[in-house]
Amino acid sequence: MAKARAIIKRLKAVRNVRKITRTMELVATARFKKAMDRAIQAAAYTRKISEIVADLSETIGEGSSLSHPLLQQRDTEKKSILLVITSNRGLCGGYNGGVLRLAQGRIRECRSNQVDLNIEVSGKRGIGYCKFQKIATSASYTHFEDKPTFEQVDELASRYIDSFIRGEIDRLDVAYTQFESMSRQKAVVQTLLPIGKLQSGTATPAGDKPKVEYEFLPSPTEILEEIVPASFKARLFKCFLDAAVSEQIARMVAMKSATENADGMIRSIRAQYNRARQSQITSELSEIIGGAAALE
Amino acid sequence: MSTGDKLRLVIVTPERTLLDEPASALRFPLYDGDIGILPGRLPLIGRLGCGELKVTNSTGHRSFFVDGGFVQVLGSTISLLTHRAVPVENLVVADAEKQLAAADGRVARTDDEVKAKLADQQRARRMLHLAKASH
Repeated sequence: MAKARAIIKRLKAVRNVRKITRTMELVATARFKKAMDRAIQAAAYTRKISEIVADLSETIGEGSSLSHPLLQQRDTEKKSILLVITSNRGLCGGYNGGVLRLAQGRIRECRSNQVDLNIEVSGKRGIGYCKFQKIATSASYTHFEDKPTFEQVDELASRYIDSFIRGEIDRLDVAYTQFESMSRQKAVVQTLLPIGKLQSGTATPAGDKPKVEYEFLPSPTEILEEIVPASFKARLFKCFLDAAVSEQIARMVAMKSATENADGMIRSIRAQYNRARQSQITSELSEIIGGAAALE
Repeated sequence: MSTGDKLRLVIVTPERTLLDEPASALRFPLYDGDIGILPGRLPLIGRLGCGELKVTNSTGHRSFFVDGGFVQVLGSTISLLTHRAVPVENLVVADAEKQLAAADGRVARTDDEVKAKLADQQRARRMLHLAKASH
């Protein structure tokens, strides 16, 4: 009897775990939808910005006198910042691992090139990893949950812009998970400062639309100077939004396979239990028969 | 001019599209002063200042407080890209007063700091003015 009861106990434990993973999957699905909506809504701003930038650069003319401190590539790279965006919570499969592996690569690269690297980490998982690997971090944030607000990101972005213009840093990289589609998210290290190209290639359609003569208030160059920081902020914000969406997808997928695995385990444990019960009954029967035979 | 709303106003903030609705006339601050937009405006790209955005449509007036950004007028569509746009009814006098006091109390030493301080003061004053006018 003891064996069958132990199996029942395990069955119950697995069932409980399944309940938890199933709930987490549902929660992640709901959160993913919300995060996705936010990301889609935010995309309107980025799209508009690149539209204006395209119009502006068309007017100014390609490659002419466009100089903004944020656009300038520095000759020597001495000091750099790496912002690592991870999640606050675990149980999301390879989400954090992928980002941290890439971040580690960048850290190694900086070390071998003798670049002074400041590491900033967002998310408890990344902070824990750095502590474990004994990587010194210069700042850590845990307040970017699955709903990063622009205000929070704006604060960070302004600080980066200031220190880049003052020459305190020569480069800013962000390690995060890029959202490509529902079924594809990729961990990347992206260089946000200096801004290589203002226009992201996908946002500008081919020049089949008629050229519009705009009136500029103030001059195109001045507007462009204002729009560069705004564009940077929008990009950094997009990184955070992408990371939030990808996290929820990763958790959804991880929890889905955990639930399926639990289902399989329940099935095999139930078979095991039935077999144990049957063998117990058989042995009891043969004991009774044996006893009866002995009495005759 | 009450023959329907011929303009389309789109207000976009980094987080979401705040407003997408028809309008018949607009007034909002550019970097150096207010500008009015009526149907048939030539294409324009401009830098916004901070202050009141007044939207007139067939049902009446609505006002927002906008805080910097850009505007694009193309055809009948006016896109406002701004960090923040708050309906004036939602502005709180006490908040604006606090911001003004904070800006007033800041010590500015360099040229940039003075410029930032003046800009903040101006923003807070306009916000305060709008907040008071709406209550």
